[in-house]
Amino acid sequence: MATFIIRRFFSALVSILLATLLVFSALLAIPGDPAEIILGLNASPQALAALREQLGLDTPAPQRYLNWLSGITTGDFGESLNYQKPVAGLILNRLKVSVPLALGGALLACAIALPLGIFAALKRGSILDPLIISFSQVGAAIPSFWLGLMLILVFAVHLRWFPAGSFIPWERDYLGSIRSLILPTFALGLGQAAVITRMTRAAMLDVLGQDFIRTARAKGLTEKKTILHHGLRNALVTIITVLGLSLSNLFIGSIIIEQVFSLPGLGRLALTAIGTRDFPLLQGEILVYAGTIVLLGFLVDISYGFLNPRIRYR
Amino acid sequence: MKRVMFLALFTLIIFGQALAQDAPSPQFGGEVTVAITADPPGWDPSASTSQEIPRVVYHNVFEGLVRFDRDGNIVPALATSWTVSDDGLDWTFTIRKGVKFHDGSDLTMEDIVAKFQRARDPDSSHTHHEYYASIDNITTEDNTVTFHLTEPSSSLLYNLARPDSVIYPAAKADTQRSQPIGTGPFKFVSYLEGSEVRLERFDDYYLDGVPYLDSVVYRIISDPNTRFAALRAGGIDLIGTSLPPEQFLQAQSDPGLKGTEGTGTTEITLALNNARPPLNNKLVREAITYAIDKEAIVNGAMFGLGTVIGTHMSPAEPYYVDLTNTYPYNPEKARELLAEAGYPDGFTIKFELPEPYNIERRSGQVIAQQLAEVGINVDLSVVEWGTWIQRIFLGGDYDMTIIGHSEPRDINIYGNPDYYFHYDNPQVRDLLQQAEVATTIEDQTADYQEIAKIIADDAVNVWVFSPPYLVAAQQDVYGFWQNQPTPAIDMTEVYRAP
Repeated sequence: MATFIIRRFFSALVSILLATLLVFSALLAIPGDPAEIILGLNASPQALAALREQLGLDTPAPQRYLNWLSGITTGDFGESLNYQKPVAGLILNRLKVSVPLALGGALLACAIALPLGIFAALKRGSILDPLIISFSQVGAAIPSFWLGLMLILVFAVHLRWFPAGSFIPWERDYLGSIRSLILPTFALGLGQAAVITRMTRAAMLDVLGQDFIRTARAKGLTEKKTILHHGLRNALVTIITVLGLSLSNLFIGSIIIEQVFSLPGLGRLALTAIGTRDFPLLQGEILVYAGTIVLLGFLVDISYGFLNPRIRYR
Repeated sequence: MKRVMFLALFTLIIFGQALAQDAPSPQFGGEVTVAITADPPGWDPSASTSQEIPRVVYHNVFEGLVRFDRDGNIVPALATSWTVSDDGLDWTFTIRKGVKFHDGSDLTMEDIVAKFQRARDPDSSHTHHEYYASIDNITTEDNTVTFHLTEPSSSLLYNLARPDSVIYPAAKADTQRSQPIGTGPFKFVSYLEGSEVRLERFDDYYLDGVPYLDSVVYRIISDPNTRFAALRAGGIDLIGTSLPPEQFLQAQSDPGLKGTEGTGTTEITLALNNARPPLNNKLVREAITYAIDKEAIVNGAMFGLGTVIGTHMSPAEPYYVDLTNTYPYNPEKARELLAEAGYPDGFTIKFELPEPYNIERRSGQVIAQQLAEVGINVDLSVVEWGTWIQRIFLGGDYDMTIIGHSEPRDINIYGNPDYYFHYDNPQVRDLLQQAEVATTIEDQTADYQEIAKIIADDAVNVWVFSPPYLVAAQQDVYGFWQNQPTPAIDMTEVYRAP
């Protein structure tokens, strides 16, 4: 187990480094320069040169990347070129929106998908199964931005139950923050719920057809015990894998939903960083994104061992 | 010494309904939430030419010696009056006494001198040194500031009214990007990146009776549909920038909202690379102009909202001259000219549309179709904004593009051969210089109109239309600017009344 964790840690480190290097090179390859974008149209060439120097853009690119790396090792994530503020603070502020949104979306998706998926698997052959399946098909096909716009139209514009186009900071009014996150959570979670429902149903059907379920029933276990202890526990290996992927989707794929609901989350910050070629900020975001994906993958791997003791780590 | 009497003429004359609103009388208190489209690159209007900055801070937070009012007139701000010597070389401004900055310090003559020393220093990161290039030195006496010029400058006063010329405390010049401190009616309180900006009433403002509001919130909403949904849901009170025409029409028909249409200084310009074949051939440029039905574009892309133009001037500008008939829509004539230029079967040309700008993208698509009808095959693509700035605008590497030139009084760009049009005409440069040192408004106007005519005859670009300035707001919000003589959402006289 210990060697497994150490090996995973180093391979994670390498992937994250590669990700930042890739993004840094991509930003260099596309046209556009932070100073030009900050100064805007019609700025004088002298002003451009002065700002480039002030932002440190006159140092060679490899040097800039190395400076950034050595900063990271001392816990300094650098300063955003566009906002002129420390990157760490900017990202932490955005996590306050993106993390609750992703977790809320995942919770909502599980709360809908697990019961529905299990139910559909058990009711196979009845009219309910195809009904649930077609609902999930529709749910997976609806683009989240469209669903978001519809939710805004119905619940914000017409019913006025929820705000549109604003996020109230947690420090000011946490109930207000929760209210402004409800619609986006639904827009984000429903699509994932559809996918997880299908996977849960498939995994359950697979497991319920296994010999050990017949054995469990034969030895006189109640149906509830059979399904939950023997069926669901074994199906969970598949479900958790999907859930891990789905959580990283929710965390990273929320860019569109953040745009539609105008939430100050990580995704919009990344868009701004790309638009302004703000490389320290974007690099910081990539660290968070890559780190999250690696961490989720790791947690999923660890969970296998708990769910199925036959799985060994090497 | 003669009093500057041509002041009123100097400025934009606007046929607005500015005062026509039958509004209830102003009330004090309350808050108005305004939608803006993006995080500006900082808050110092002299550190970037981004127009998102003045939309929040111009005359709300920052003021200059003089300023534009809602109709484009140049009126006193920190200076109460000014005189100019007979030779046009010495401009003396009398500065208001007892003005305080938002940090509690007093406005001093040193703050003003330091500001303009920095502005004209080519090594500072001030974006437009050329606005102040004619200033030789600056002297002060009691509460007056005198600019001594090297030659007369007809645009000095205009440049002093621009957002670039606002005054901040001399010691804090470098921190204005993140912590703006001005003398305006509202002080900058907080900024949450990507989310909101909060301004609050400045109690020590030197004018009595304004502002009316206790606070103003700017909400950053980049998606136009979300912006409008937020207005309809009541979370936003006013959209005063980038309002699509269809949303304006919707606001007009919504009983809870209102929509106003005024004039702006934007020219939607189909820019042609005058240095690159086949566009370096004047006949080809004429043919393109003949091929474009501007009326159809205004109807198709703008629901009829917009004024067709024929040169780089919007009807809101004081020296506007109607040149729409220089090369009127005539596809037959376009085909003939193409044949005469040696392209009887037309040619293929690249046309790149700027991604962030909806009106330009829509217009560009109509233009591509119209050009196809005379045999010009258009290779259409959409370009991301950073790329547009670097490769097309600064690098000048493109065939055709389309963009709204919204800076007021910017015909001087045709005197710069390095500008992305690659238009090089010494006659235009001479006229621009002549206009700059003109001492009467009539001479200056005549020069500008002559330039407008020359560039129209040369078919440098196709100036398609001037879009109106559109605002949508809640019914109970009054006093906002209905015209846009300069990019600004001035909240000084805005109030709520049921």
